[in-house]
Amino acid sequence: MTNSAGRIAAGSAVVTVLMVFALSTLAEAAAHRGGGGRGGGGREGGGREGGGGHASARGGGGQARQVNNSRADVRSNNVRNTSVNNVNVNRNVNVNVEGGGCHNCRGWDNDYHPVATAAAVTATVAVTSAIVGSMVRTVPAGCVPVNYGGMVYQQCGTTWYQPQAGQYIVVNPPY
Amino acid sequence: MVRSILMLGLLVALVPGPEARAQTPPASPTKPAANAVDPASIQALKDMGAYLRTLKRFRVSTEHSGERVLADGQKLQHTARAELDVQRPDKIRVAMKSARSERELIYNGKTVTLYTPAQKYYSTVEFTGALHQLVDRLEERYGVQLPLQDLFLFGTPSAPLDKIESAMNAGQDIVGGDVCDHYAFRQGSIDWQIWIRTGDKPLPRKLVIVNRGDEARPQSVSLITWKLNPEINAAAFTFTPPKGAKKIEMVAAKSGK
Repeated sequence: MTNSAGRIAAGSAVVTVLMVFALSTLAEAAAHRGGGGRGGGGREGGGREGGGGHASARGGGGQARQVNNSRADVRSNNVRNTSVNNVNVNRNVNVNVEGGGCHNCRGWDNDYHPVATAAAVTATVAVTSAIVGSMVRTVPAGCVPVNYGGMVYQQCGTTWYQPQAGQYIVVNPPY
Repeated sequence: MVRSILMLGLLVALVPGPEARAQTPPASPTKPAANAVDPASIQALKDMGAYLRTLKRFRVSTEHSGERVLADGQKLQHTARAELDVQRPDKIRVAMKSARSERELIYNGKTVTLYTPAQKYYSTVEFTGALHQLVDRLEERYGVQLPLQDLFLFGTPSAPLDKIESAMNAGQDIVGGDVCDHYAFRQGSIDWQIWIRTGDKPLPRKLVIVNRGDEARPQSVSLITWKLNPEINAAAFTFTPPKGAKKIEMVAAKSGK
């Protein structure tokens, strides 16, 4: 038993992820199927190996499916300047050429705020404790929500957060 | 050993040197063909634009994948979905969804609202005008792009076709069960392709855009599904703040006008 637990702990993250996924799916299925009375059933049934904790941390059954980006590598948000997101033909070929528009060349689909040029990461680490690219569950009190470029941010003094799938990612100031 | 030297000799003999290549007859040099811009392909865009302008009420949805290029040139793909309910000349409701965020835009010809259901935040500004004007205004002032906004620009002065540098018919293809005419265009650093349904309802069914301005050439793909003249509740175009919704400021884009 100790042995197998050890193996699980040392085992691949894939297994854990699969487990959590399976558990939350179970919980969801239970919630959909049984209504209130059986809400906890899925969690209990799947609660072996401590996985139940994960499932309930993700809200248990009933809630909409939600992704978790807390393990995403910070590099995955380090989008370079030339990576203009081309979603609409006329915007890119005409407005750009005339030197006018495309202030927000990220398109409607790209809800990733480019958070980290290498320089920005270094500077931010040195100056403040909120590391650009890091994820938090809640923002400090007194933040102000602002809609910029069609995305909602939380401005907390000099630190900016962007909601991302139920969490917040620390981003460079959008403007 | 002898054999490999022989092989090497053969290879050298087979690969033409630069002189050999220079001698190939320059009879038909690869300069652009006289009709690099195929008039029929431009006409197809005009016909589609004119047809789109005749649609009074429609629901159009898109499955979209785009690419973003990281600092070292590696590309990551992301996906999103959007659904648009449209009633010309000046009503639209847009739902934009990805795994990371969900947003809505509602316009009734008088006010336009951006709403994020997860946080129940909304921003409202006054605006009057047709949908292509709304598209221009949102972009210019707020840096906000609508999904499939080309649909409202084709057939208007905001979508000039006279600057296209290359236009060709790429044959026919089938998209979502529809036989489509496939066209490819080049302008500046953008290559783009469109699949337009063949026949008397020339609806765009697929749009692909490649950005050659970045050497990684990020590409976006939008699959487009149509429902013409659907039932749409008129109230859908007016935003009524749900209980607990909070109004927040919408800040003009830094370089916005």
